[in-house]
Amino acid sequence: MTAAARAISGTGPSRRPRARPLEWLLVHLAFVAVSAFFLAPFLWLFGAAFDENATAYIHWPSAPTFNNFIRIFTEHDFGVALGNSVFVSVATMLLVVVTVSLAGYSLSRIELRRKDWITYGILLLQTMPLSATMVPIYGLARQLGLRNSYLGLILIHATIELPFLVWLMKGFFDSVPRQLEEASWLDGRTKLRALIEIVLPLARPGLGIAAGLSFLSAWAEVLMVIILVDQQSMKTVPLAFYEAMRNQGGYTEVQYGVIAAMAILYLMPVMAVFIGARRLMVRGLMSSTRGL
Amino acid sequence: MTVAGAGAIGPRSTGLGRTLKRNRLYFAGLTPAALLLAVFFVGPALWALGSSFTNRALVGIDAANPRFVGLDNYTRLFGDPDFGRVIVNSIVFVVGSAIIGQFILGLGLALLIDHAQQRGFRAANFVYAAVLLAWVDPTLIAGFLWVAMFDFYYGSLNVALSVFGLGPVNWFGQAPMLAVIIANVWRGTAFTMLIFLGALRTVPGDVYEAARVDGASAWRRFWDHTLPMLRPIAALTLLSITMSTFGTFIVIQTLTNGGPSFQTEVIALYAYHEAFQAHEVGYGSTIAVAMLVLNLAFAVFYLRWSRARA
Amino acid sequence: MARVEYEDVWKQFASQGAPAVRGLSLDIADGELLVLLGPSGCGKTTALRMLAGLEEPDRGDIRIAGTSVVGREPKDRDVALVFQSYALYPHLSARENIRYPLKLRKMSRAEQDKRVDHVADMLGIARLLPRRPSQLSGGEQQRVALARAIVREPRVFLMDEPLSNLDAKLRVHTRTELKTLQRELGTTMVFVTHDQAEAMSLANRIAILSAGELQQIGTPDEVYDHPANLFVAEFIGSPPMNLLEVTRDGDTLVAADGWRLPAPLTRERPAGELMVGLRPEAIAIKSEGHAAEVVAVEPLGSEVIVDVRIAGKALKVRAAPSVRPQPGSTVHLAVEPGGVRLFDRSTGSALH
Repeated sequence: MTAAARAISGTGPSRRPRARPLEWLLVHLAFVAVSAFFLAPFLWLFGAAFDENATAYIHWPSAPTFNNFIRIFTEHDFGVALGNSVFVSVATMLLVVVTVSLAGYSLSRIELRRKDWITYGILLLQTMPLSATMVPIYGLARQLGLRNSYLGLILIHATIELPFLVWLMKGFFDSVPRQLEEASWLDGRTKLRALIEIVLPLARPGLGIAAGLSFLSAWAEVLMVIILVDQQSMKTVPLAFYEAMRNQGGYTEVQYGVIAAMAILYLMPVMAVFIGARRLMVRGLMSSTRGL
Repeated sequence: MTVAGAGAIGPRSTGLGRTLKRNRLYFAGLTPAALLLAVFFVGPALWALGSSFTNRALVGIDAANPRFVGLDNYTRLFGDPDFGRVIVNSIVFVVGSAIIGQFILGLGLALLIDHAQQRGFRAANFVYAAVLLAWVDPTLIAGFLWVAMFDFYYGSLNVALSVFGLGPVNWFGQAPMLAVIIANVWRGTAFTMLIFLGALRTVPGDVYEAARVDGASAWRRFWDHTLPMLRPIAALTLLSITMSTFGTFIVIQTLTNGGPSFQTEVIALYAYHEAFQAHEVGYGSTIAVAMLVLNLAFAVFYLRWSRARA
Repeated sequence: MARVEYEDVWKQFASQGAPAVRGLSLDIADGELLVLLGPSGCGKTTALRMLAGLEEPDRGDIRIAGTSVVGREPKDRDVALVFQSYALYPHLSARENIRYPLKLRKMSRAEQDKRVDHVADMLGIARLLPRRPSQLSGGEQQRVALARAIVREPRVFLMDEPLSNLDAKLRVHTRTELKTLQRELGTTMVFVTHDQAEAMSLANRIAILSAGELQQIGTPDEVYDHPANLFVAEFIGSPPMNLLEVTRDGDTLVAADGWRLPAPLTRERPAGELMVGLRPEAIAIKSEGHAAEVVAVEPLGSEVIVDVRIAGKALKVRAAPSVRPQPGSTVHLAVEPGGVRLFDRSTGSALH
């Protein structure tokens, strides 16, 4: 057993867990830099929300308080916005899940020669930039009388994620073999019951993604809300947030603390899903290039 | 069922009526979604198209009785120096944010994290989550956070610069385009990182070991193997993020609202401003149509490419 | 000169409780084809990778041609490795794959091509060269991987179960080709496999490992006829060696149901708990002998395997193809004295 062998064991770059100290240092330095860049804004947000005299300066307040959170309910009607958001988001989620299950299943099982065209069309629709539809949806909604109404909000929020989710559910249904529902038809079930009782449970992950994504999408949606709502009683959380940001008097008077508190509450459902179902969330978001 | 199947692809076409009848339940199932999509996806596109041929306005006479003006809006668009400016801004933004920023940073992060995970550095998972967090949060939040980051006196960016002895920068005044690019890169990088991480993980580890035994140094392994294996997906990803960055609205609106003096006015903002601030809905629709057409061209190209790969 | 030596090599992975390789010492002669044989997890692949330089031993030394290679990068060891998955570069053509190690050594393009063509002819894959790995069958990919190793003209060939992913017929065919190839090239080869039949047919010598420890090293005949312990006895040979618990009674060994077997001649008279090993071909079905019940008969064409039961223990007996007793009937077994192997029941080691 040579001394040389003992001394130099462990050298050389390798894909196995054995790194030189220099490499470890460089990699972790990079980590620090990257983490700092990506987390700094959130660190600031957390500090500012609990600070009565919050500025843009990143620090933990000397006298942390819940005052900001109280103010958003008393001064900014945040309670109204919160209620609206919850209602609209849940309603959207329900509408989406039902619609998308029916459509995805139908698209999966339908026998059309040009079926591919429909899928292609759906994928094309999915790439449409929402910001381009702001102007026409305004006009359309106004003519249809859908502005400042729950119906308008729900219908439009539901439609946003529709193309992607129909395509997603179709994929899940494609993986469920037809024999299963055919067997249940022979047993005497109607097609609808077969769908609900037999096929749907097998496509559960897809439903989970559809529900989660549509809820979060509706929760976070702001472009459409700007267009559709101008009555205070109808505003949602994103709109309240948006307005609070825009109604700044002068540059140095940005009410960071209050808006930060709003941001925290606005962020909470997203964070909950992120912590609880991160992989599923990422998977769902990845395929829909729109992101949140 | 088998009879139906045979009929659908048999040599003798059974006609539209039969097809409808056989699939009637499925057509019914598609109806709610189709209706929603038709009204709220296709509808706006058509509405924008129609409106672009009018002089519809937000208030005033032309709001109540818009007149048909033919292609006037389009000729105006092509001769509009502001629009030219907007196009340039949009291109600069997309190149800076998507191509340079998100793509390169995403690739770098993917390589870094993949390498670190292979080495068993557990901190990699933390960094990964941090990058993800910036991507999953609502866009408005991202805008707000960076309003604070770019704050002149207290914003973290200027604070960080002062640590290195560099003067505070008036971001929104002097470097607005850079500011919105940085904010958008912060927000969007996770997407490319995820794609490249996925691609890197599909490479079996022993390909690199074979290269090691063949005699390749770490740099050679990267250049000869890692990069070429990433190339196909890189091109597709680039197209994808170009398309999505093209429609950026909120981030820029909250940070600079297109200013100062039009320096960061991108196409989505221009459409909005023309319709709702200058009250020219017809003209705004024209711009929206231009956006949709451009996007459609990209999308067709993208879909064809991604299908060819699959 | 490409002699390979392992000297008291130990390796433990942080993620595992027990060492993967314990005190391995091997001496492989120049030009020898040595097979490292053992079940999954026995450490044979780890031992191979340490020779390649993809792992480093915790203790001990590894030498090629007399010089220690521990700590040296794989590329500096002048060894070539064929992976179980072939590990071909997916984005390069077969030709580019084979050329790669030569390209790294900055050989002239002309020289590179000459060598590639030569090796491709040797392995019969010349017409496959322009294709990408994804366009090749498993067997073809395997040959490209082989070509990539051969083209370097290394001192030692390392093979990590290269035939495991091939279908049975191709595997047997390639086995023979490999053996011939190695003999022609004359290069030392270390071959890892879990398939004992493969080891027997390929090896000059077999090194059997279990749980990181070397159990026995010897020629195929040696490990078959004189296994050093129970593990080797059971691992080598198909069907495996029959094992019976016996006690000694003078010059005879007595099994549980009274079967008396002749004890092999040894200097000592080991007593106590003993185990007897009988190869299926060491037992014969005769007209007289110890009675056993036939459980099943497996006709294999060239021979017949008769499954019998003695004292609750199942035994397999090799017989001529015409021997077809009925299941349930009784047959009589006789044993040749030369066919009895004796093992200590507690330590497992052979006793003569």
